[in-house]
Amino acid sequence: MDAIAIPPPEQLDSLDDEHFRQVVREFLRQNYPEHLRNPPHRLHWHECKEWYHRLAEKGWLCPGWPKEHGGLGLSPIKQIILTEEYERHGVARTPDHGIVMLGPLVIRYGTEEQKRRFLPKILSGEHIWCQGYSEPNAGSDLAALRTEAVLEGDHYVVNGQKIWTTLATDANWIFLLVRTDKQAKKQEGISFLLVDMTTPGITVRPIINLEMHDEFCEVFFDNVRVPKENLVGQPNRGWDMAKALLGFERIFIGAPRQSAYALSRLRLLAERVGVWEDEAFQDRYARLRLDLEDLKALYGVYVAKLRRGEALGPDVSMLKVIQTELFQRITDTMLEIAGENAGLMDPMEGNRDLNIGGLFIQARPATIYGGSNEIQRNILSKNVLGLPG
Amino acid sequence: MSAALDDGDRLESIRMIRDSAAAVVPPGGELRRVRELRWQEPGFDRGVLRQMGEMGWIGLRVPEAQGGAGLGLGELCALAEELGAGLVPEPLIPCALSAALLAAAGDAEHLPALLAGERVALTAWQERADTLEAPGAPDAPRRFLPMAAGAELFLLPVREGGRLALYAQPAAGADLATERTQDGGHYGTLRPDLGGASKLAEDVGAALEAALDEAALATAAYLLGGMERAFAMTLDYLKTRQQFGRIIGTFQALQHRAADLKMQIALTRASVEAAAAALDAGAAGDARRAAVSRAKARAAEAAMLVQRQCIQLHGGIGYTDQYDVGLYLRKAMVLANQYGSAALHRRRFMASAPEGEE
Repeated sequence: MDAIAIPPPEQLDSLDDEHFRQVVREFLRQNYPEHLRNPPHRLHWHECKEWYHRLAEKGWLCPGWPKEHGGLGLSPIKQIILTEEYERHGVARTPDHGIVMLGPLVIRYGTEEQKRRFLPKILSGEHIWCQGYSEPNAGSDLAALRTEAVLEGDHYVVNGQKIWTTLATDANWIFLLVRTDKQAKKQEGISFLLVDMTTPGITVRPIINLEMHDEFCEVFFDNVRVPKENLVGQPNRGWDMAKALLGFERIFIGAPRQSAYALSRLRLLAERVGVWEDEAFQDRYARLRLDLEDLKALYGVYVAKLRRGEALGPDVSMLKVIQTELFQRITDTMLEIAGENAGLMDPMEGNRDLNIGGLFIQARPATIYGGSNEIQRNILSKNVLGLPG
Repeated sequence: MSAALDDGDRLESIRMIRDSAAAVVPPGGELRRVRELRWQEPGFDRGVLRQMGEMGWIGLRVPEAQGGAGLGLGELCALAEELGAGLVPEPLIPCALSAALLAAAGDAEHLPALLAGERVALTAWQERADTLEAPGAPDAPRRFLPMAAGAELFLLPVREGGRLALYAQPAAGADLATERTQDGGHYGTLRPDLGGASKLAEDVGAALEAALDEAALATAAYLLGGMERAFAMTLDYLKTRQQFGRIIGTFQALQHRAADLKMQIALTRASVEAAAAALDAGAAGDARRAAVSRAKARAAEAAMLVQRQCIQLHGGIGYTDQYDVGLYLRKAMVLANQYGSAALHRRRFMASAPEGEE
C-alpha cells in the first residue's frame, strides 16, 4: 500500500474530504502516542503534554481557528472528519480550554495587543487555560456570581471563589467572570478577566469526583492583583461575551465524540457478553446508532453556521441536551447488559479500554456541566419557543 | 413458620427486626465507617459480622432446630432494606445464602460458626455473568464472589450425574483472584480445587435454586433501602438549595421529576413486599420465580433511575466523592445486576408466569 503523504498544515483545508480523512489517519498513526489511546479518565497535563506539543509542533493544534491566527482554518465537514478520526483512534482530550474557548473569544472580542499576546502562547503550549465561571452559589444561576474585581489604579483586585474549575491544577492561566459593578442588574455588572495563575493570592484545591479523579478544582482568590489590560472587551459587558462562549462550549459538548466512543464500547461489550446477535439488543443498538447519526447531522448544521461566521442562537442548547443524554443512554445500556461486570471498578479483563462502570460514571456530569440540561431546556422553552415565564 | 403468626404478630416481628438494624446502621445516615472500609480487604468488619450473627441475622431463615431464627422473607427483606439504607458492607446476603445451603445439606460442622458470624462461607456457584444457573462444572472458575477475600470457606456446587453435589473447600491456600468493585468491595474468582474439598451433600440443586431466589429478593430489598435514603437526601436538597433567588424545589420541572421517582420507589416497595408475602405463604416453583423476578426486575431498574436522578438533581455536588449520594449510585451499579439483571428477571418472569394463569 502506498504511504499517504502528509501535506503542510496550511494545505489541509484544500484537500478533498476523503483524502483528508486518510491524511488524518496517517497523521495519528505516525504521531499519536500508543499508550495514550482510550485513556480511562481525563488526562492531566503531565500525561498528555507530549501529544499537545506534538500537535503544536506540526501546526495541528487549532483546527477551527482561522489560518491567519495559526489555525488550520478547516471547513465544518473537515472538523467533523477530524473529530471522527480522533475518536476512532482513541485520542485523549488535552487541556483544551485555550483552544476551544478562550482562543475563539479573543479572536472575536480581543484587542490586537491581546491577540498578539495570548494566541501564540496557546499555539505553543506555553499557556494552559482553565475556565473560572461557576461558584458555590452560582451554578445553574451563573449570573449570580459574586467573585468581585475592584479597580485600584492600574490593577483589578480580585476576591472570591470559583468551583468545578476543570484541571485548574494543570493550568497556568485562568479566564474569569468577575463582578465589577455590584449596583447594576446581575447580568450587567460582570466582566471577563484573564489571570495569571502564578499571581500571589490564588489557591487551588482539587475535588475528588465520582471517578475518584481530581479533574475538578476549587480556586480561591485573596486580593489577587490583575493588570487592567487583562480585561477582555468592555467592562461590565462580560456576560454577553461569556454567553457567546457558552455557545462554543455547548457546541463542543454537543459534538458527537463522547457518544460515538461510548457506542463503539457498547458494541465491543455486546460482542463480549454474547448479546450482539440478540434481536432485542439489535433493536436497541439500532435506535442508539440512529440517534448518533442524526446527532452528527445536527452537529454539522451548527458547525456550518460557525464557519459562515454566524452567531449561534440559543437553539444550540438542543445539541448539548441531545448529545449528553444519548451518551448517558448508551452507558446505561452498557450497564444493563454487562451483568456483574457492571459493578467492576477497573476495565474488564482482556479489554483495557472497556471500562464499563468508569464510562457510565463519566457520563453522569455531562448533563450537569456546561449549563445543566434543566437550564438548557429553560433556554429552549423561553428563548427559542417563546413560552412565557 | 411465619404463616402461623397472625398479621399483628407478623407486623410486630418485622418492626422489631427493623429497629434492631439500628445496631449496625448509625442514625442520621452517617457513613464514615462505610467510607473507611472502601477498597480495603476484606472490605468489611468482622466484629460487625459477629454482631450480626449474635442478633440471629445470618441464620434468620434457617430453621430454629438447626440454630437459626426461623423467620420469614418479610423479616429478611425488612432487614436488608435497613442495611441498604446504611450501605452496610458486611456480606449478609451471600452468608445467608450459604447458611441456607448448609442447613439443607444437614451440615453441623460449618453451619454454627457461619451463623455466629465467626467464619464467612461463600457459595461459589456462578461461572459466568448474569445468570441464576449453577452448571457445577468441577474445574470451571467460579466468578463474582462478593467480599471473597474475607472468606474462610467456599461452598462448591458440583454437577455429578443429574445431581448437584455440595463440596466445602477451605479458603486457606485457595487459588483466588480479586477485582475491585464500584461500591468499595471486590469480587473474587476462585479456581476450585476439589482435591482439597470435602463433600457435604449429594444433591442441593433445589435448595440452591430456592436460596438464589431469596438472595435475589433480599438484594431487591437492599436496593430499595438505598433508593429511599438517597431520595430522602435529594428531597432535603431540593428543599434547601437556592438558585435564581428561589428554593429549587419550587421549580415545577423538578417537582414532577421527584414525583416520578417517588412512584418508582412505591412500585418497588409494593413489588418486594408482595413477593416476600407470597414466598412466606409458601409460593414455590414458578410462582416463587415469578414473584421474585418481578421484584428484582423492578428494583434493579428503579434503583438505577432513582440513583442517576439523585445525582442529577444535586448538580455538581452530587458528582463529588465527598458527598454521600454518589455512594448509593455506586452500590446500585454493583447490586442492580447481582443475582440476575433486570433483563434476566423479565425473561424469567415471562417464562414462569403465563398470562391469565396468575
